[in-house]
Formats: sequence, C-alpha cells, structure tokens
Amino acid sequence: MSESRWLATGNFFTSYKAEQRIFLTHIDRLVFICFMILLFIWPLFFKVSNRYMLVIDSILIAIVAVYGLNLLTGFAGLISIGHAAFVGVGAYTLASFAHVLGTNHVLITHWWPLMILVSGLVGAVIGGIVGLPSLRLKHLYLVIATLSFQMIFQWAINFMQFFNQGQTIAIGRVFWFTGKVVRKQHYFFWYYVILVIVVILGFAARNLLRTKHGRSLVAVRDNDRAADAMGMHPGFTKVYAFALAGFFAGVAGALHAYLWRGVGFESFTLHHSISYLAMAIVGGLGTLVGSIVGPVAILVLELQVEHFAEWAGHFFKAIGDVATAFRPLSFGLVIVLFLMFEPRGIANWWRIVRSYFKLWPFRY
Amino acid sequence: MKNKQITIMLVTLSFLLLVGFSVQAVAGNTYNLGLSLAITGPTSDAGNPYSKGVEDYIKYANETKILGDDKINCPIKDDQYQTANAKRNFEEFLDEEIVLFLSYATGSNQALAKDYTEEQIPVIPASFDKSLISEGTGSEYIFLSIPSYSHQFVGLGEYVAKHHQGGGTPKVALFIHPSAFGRAPVEDLKSALTAGLKLDVVEVVEHGKDLDNSALLQRLQSKGVQYVICQTVQSPVATLLKDADRLGITAKSFGEKGKITFMGAHYTGGADLIALAGPAAEGFYWDTGYRLTSDEGPWVKWQLDFAKKYGRDDKTANSHNYANGIMAAQVAVEAIRRAKESGKAVTRESITAALNNMNGDKTYETLTTVGPVSFSKTDRIGVDYLQLYVVKGGVFKSVGEPFQPEFLK
Repeated sequence: MSESRWLATGNFFTSYKAEQRIFLTHIDRLVFICFMILLFIWPLFFKVSNRYMLVIDSILIAIVAVYGLNLLTGFAGLISIGHAAFVGVGAYTLASFAHVLGTNHVLITHWWPLMILVSGLVGAVIGGIVGLPSLRLKHLYLVIATLSFQMIFQWAINFMQFFNQGQTIAIGRVFWFTGKVVRKQHYFFWYYVILVIVVILGFAARNLLRTKHGRSLVAVRDNDRAADAMGMHPGFTKVYAFALAGFFAGVAGALHAYLWRGVGFESFTLHHSISYLAMAIVGGLGTLVGSIVGPVAILVLELQVEHFAEWAGHFFKAIGDVATAFRPLSFGLVIVLFLMFEPRGIANWWRIVRSYFKLWPFRY
Repeated sequence: MKNKQITIMLVTLSFLLLVGFSVQAVAGNTYNLGLSLAITGPTSDAGNPYSKGVEDYIKYANETKILGDDKINCPIKDDQYQTANAKRNFEEFLDEEIVLFLSYATGSNQALAKDYTEEQIPVIPASFDKSLISEGTGSEYIFLSIPSYSHQFVGLGEYVAKHHQGGGTPKVALFIHPSAFGRAPVEDLKSALTAGLKLDVVEVVEHGKDLDNSALLQRLQSKGVQYVICQTVQSPVATLLKDADRLGITAKSFGEKGKITFMGAHYTGGADLIALAGPAAEGFYWDTGYRLTSDEGPWVKWQLDFAKKYGRDDKTANSHNYANGIMAAQVAVEAIRRAKESGKAVTRESITAALNNMNGDKTYETLTTVGPVSFSKTDRIGVDYLQLYVVKGGVFKSVGEPFQPEFLK
C-alpha cells in the first residue's frame, strides 16, 4: 500500500527517515507555508499602532527565548528558573559593546546581525558554565543552582558601574540597505527581522531534534543511566543543553536590546524567569508548537490582566495594592490550572485538532 | 407632494449638518496630553494622588476656560512602575498625537529619553533625577518640576554643615536606596565634599528589605554618627525611625549631642511617612520644593478647597504628591496657554519654546511650590528653591526660608 502524502489518516511510517520528516503530510507543509505568508504580509495590509507592534515584537522575542527554555526543560528535563538572566546576558553583551565602543558605533548599528550572533554565543558560553553544576545536581538542587545564577546576575548588574548599575544603557538605531531605520519604521523593521529569526531558529531546533544530538537530550531526560549505557554522555548532554538554551536566550536578549533601544536591569528579573517558565508550561513542555503558543497566551493574558489591574486600581486604595496582586495571582492560577487539567499545555489542544481533521469525516 | 417632502427633509438635514459643523468649529481645539504612572505596583502610594492632582487640574482648566474655548484631554494610564509598560503607554499616546507627555519614574524616563528627543516632545516627569536633564543620559525635552534629588541631598548636607553645633566636622551616614535612584545623589554629595563642604561621611548604607535596623543603628552610633541623610522611599525610612525611637537614640532637637538626627529628600517624607512611622517620625527633617497643607499660608485653603471641589478625601487633599500632580498639570496648561497666546499653532515645538521662555519676567507662579517656575534652554529645573520641614506634633512644619544649595547652583 503506497502511503498518501496528502491525507495520512494514521501513522504508517515504514522507516525512521519517514518518521523524522519535518512535515508529515503535504497538507501540513501547505498550511505552514500559508501561515508564513500570512505572517509576512499582514503588516502590509493592516495598520497596527506602534503600541501593539511593540507587543507583537515582544511576543516573537519571547518565542525565541522559550525555544531555548523548552529545549532545556521540556526536552532535556533540566528545570531552569534563571532563564531571564540568560536573556539578560545576551542583552548586556550588546550593552557592553555599546558602553565601550559607543552607542552608535558601526558594529552596533551596521553589523547588528553579527552582534546578535555574538550575543547568542556569549549566552551559550555562560549557559555552559552555569550548566556545570548539572553534572552533579538534579531536580530541586539544580533549580536552586539556576536560581543562584539569576541572583548573581541581578546583583552584578545592579551594583557594577560598568553596567550603569542597572539603569538603561542606550543602543543606537540600526542601518539597513535603505539607510537608517528611523523611528517610523522601527517596529515593522524589527517585526520582520525577529520573525525571520523565529523561523530560522524554529527550523534549527526542529532539525536538531531529528539528529542524535537532539535525541540524546530526550534520552537523558527520560533515563540518564540508560542513555549512558547506550553510549551517550549524560554530563556533556546536560551542559550542552544549558549552552543551547543560553544561545537562544542570548539571541533573544540582543533582539530585546535592539527593539527597546536600550538595556535596563528590570527586564531580566526573577519575575521574568518565572514568566518564561510559565510560557513553556502553558504552551506545552517538550513541544516546539508549545514554544510558540505559550508566549502568545501568556503575554496576551498579561496585557488583559494589566488592563484589569488598571481598571481596578481606580477603585482599590493603593495602600492595599490589591490590583497589583492580580498579575502574579493570574500567572499562578494559570500555571496551576494547566498543571492540573492540561499538563501537556495548549500544544495538546493543537494535537487534538490535528487528530480530528486527520480522521475527518470519521469521528475523533 | 412626496417630492416636496423629500426636498424639505434634505434642506433641513443640510441645515443641521451645516449647524453641526459650525458648532464644532466654534467649539475650539482639543489638545491631547498623556500621563503614564504607577497607579498600581511599587510607588503607587505616590502615583495615585499624583494622578488625581493631574486629573483635577485638567478638569479645572477646562471648566474655568483657561484656554478659552480650547480643551485639554489627558488620559491617564497605569504603567505599574515598569519601563516596558511606560514605553507601551508612550507609544499609544503618540498614536493619539499628544503635544506633551507627563511621565513618572526615573528608569522609564531614562529608557525613553532618546525617544523624547526624536519625537521632540516636551516631557514633565514626576522623577527629579538629574540624569534626565544631563547630556548623554537625558533629553533636552525633559523639564523637571523642582530641584533634583542631588539638590535635595546636597541641600540637607549643607544644612547640617551650617547648623551643626558642638564643634568639629559633623559625622554623617548616608542611608540610600539600592539603585541608581539612591546612589546618584551620593556622587554629587561627594563632589560637594571635594569642593569644600565640611562633612565627614562615615558610612554609606544601601538598605535592603530589613524589618529591623537595630544592629545598623548601633553600629552607626558606635562610629559617632550624628546625622543620617536618607535618599530612598518612605517605608525603609519609617522602619529606621521606629527602630531608632525604640533604641532611644533619636535626637529631640536638631543635632542633639549623643543622638542621631534623621533627614531625607523628597520621596522619603510627607504625610505617608508620618502614617507609617507614627510618633517615631517626630524630629525628622525633610526637604522638598512643594508647599504643604500642614504648614501655614494661602496655599493651604486653596489646595484643600480645590481637592474638596473634586471630591477628594482628606488623605489625598493633604498629600504633597497631590500638589505635585497639580503642579505638573499647571505647568503643562500654562505652557499650552502661552504657546496659544504667541499666535502660533499649539504644537510640541511651540510648547517646548513656551517652556524654554518661561524665565525672567515670564516666570510662572504656582501656589503649590515654594518658588516660581522658570525654565530656559540651559536651566530645565522649574522651581529653584527647596524648603526644609521638620515633623512637630505629628505634622510637617517649615523651618526657615526656602533655600538653594550653594554647591549645586
């Protein structure tokens, strides 16, 4: 029986290669291409205010960061609550260049793709170093180690003159082939840049997971002794998972710095680390789709909670600060509810929808 | 017959449309401002009354027709003391074509300073950080309402140097917020020391979230510290004062021998500090550029009546942050009025020019501040004077006349 590449009603893989396909059916590929076209062309037809473009760009940056966290926590099973610090490492790498060379140095303004890559690599190196305790630590103890890194990062930035003691370090406007990207074009320019990076890194992560290096992450997560017995190096794999997460986070940090045109300490706090973890959990740990839908869900929720807190702030006395509590409360509630009722995250809903259409017109 | 009815209807409709457009033309222009500040989150205890001050004065300006038939529209948005939210709010306000921006925190203003310059939009922040008007870190479009934190801090140091009794150089400890907001004025104080200010700074303490400062206070006393100058917010100061009171080391009068006199800059004081520290706040010295309703003068009745008119409770009516908000709105409205009066269109450019020309015989008197407001291209601090207050009988009372710090003129 020849396999239909258009409508697969079940898993009829006849080889490992078939199972590792990026798109299982032509319809998957078609849907993906249409979705990409939509993402690339919609800004040309709809006028969106800068406020919302800023939110959209921020969501895309969070997707890049959560790719990394999902590889680390979802695929390699190493929980990190210091991911915002890794993002901060990327941002402060760029800020350090700006501090030493000048805000508008040609490296910052013209060679920005290189700077984004460098920030990612510095993030990877720091990620690898922070990952060293994972050679000896597991579970909660490793969580504490990543928390320590978060604290050390915050302390270093907050106290070091070189980093302006956490106050904003400005980043200059970049240049494109058409010249300087001025304020009017800023958010749209970065929308496309970040979108391209999201797609490239998404494919990179997907392809990585098809290789032995990607599969070793999952193997070590499931049983590191078994993985060791099968010839994998659990220690190296864990450190390398941290380095990978650091790279993605570093890239996200550099993008953040360019988008916000400055780097300030308050974007990389423990609260942000927990937000990234919430995005990964709500989206779906161990799925790439989850890395995309998680940030969308959490940041849209955050925006709505902000609106609600603003509205409530007019009625509650500030001294009680009840309105302020809505944000952490909503985060906590969402995470708990997902862990209880949908531990596989929103990505599982997507899986169910796909399965429904796979069998259609028969019942799911 | 039917055609006739339709004709009459069309004529009537045209007439109504014509009248409608005419009324709209006569109704005047509306100028959009925007205020982004912490209504919730950290520092919302200051942000809330500040926002009410702005809201009420804008209402007042529209009701009393300060701008004739023209109106001001000033939506207020909560940024929860977060730069990211402040930036989003600012972008939204820009979409609404605001002509002046009322901002809040030091951090968000620093992050937005480049945007202000690019947009050439005048900004009046609630922060008084000197970096906001400094070259490189600030913007030439930012106008501070009162003297900076550095002025307030150095001003307190000068007061100590001038009024210290008992001989020798007064020994001082600095109690500061663990951020650039707390640290920046320390650098200016050190510059003043180099320039000849006679103080012996024994220790600089960056406070944490300690709930007990007994050990700190005893250490300071063992080092012979006589004065503690604070640059932070109210709650850590209240904790410090309560612990000092419990240990019995608070000076009953300024510079009392063997005791410690506590002093603080703008955001350390006010009615909220007294509410937090209670009787332990007695004898606390504080400087700011605002008038207080607990003092005596014509501004007391004016502010209380003003707050009553807009239905504000006693706490808000007596808050210096409420006065702070009123003053920011007063300056904004006055700048728009002057821009309009100059015969030019009311734009960001003409408002910036009006603010920069607010000097000489064109200074602006407000009842809410201890001196007139004056700006120029080289002076972007509105009120040039500070007033020292001390807590007596559970309220702040003024001490002496308004002053300018000698080492930071």
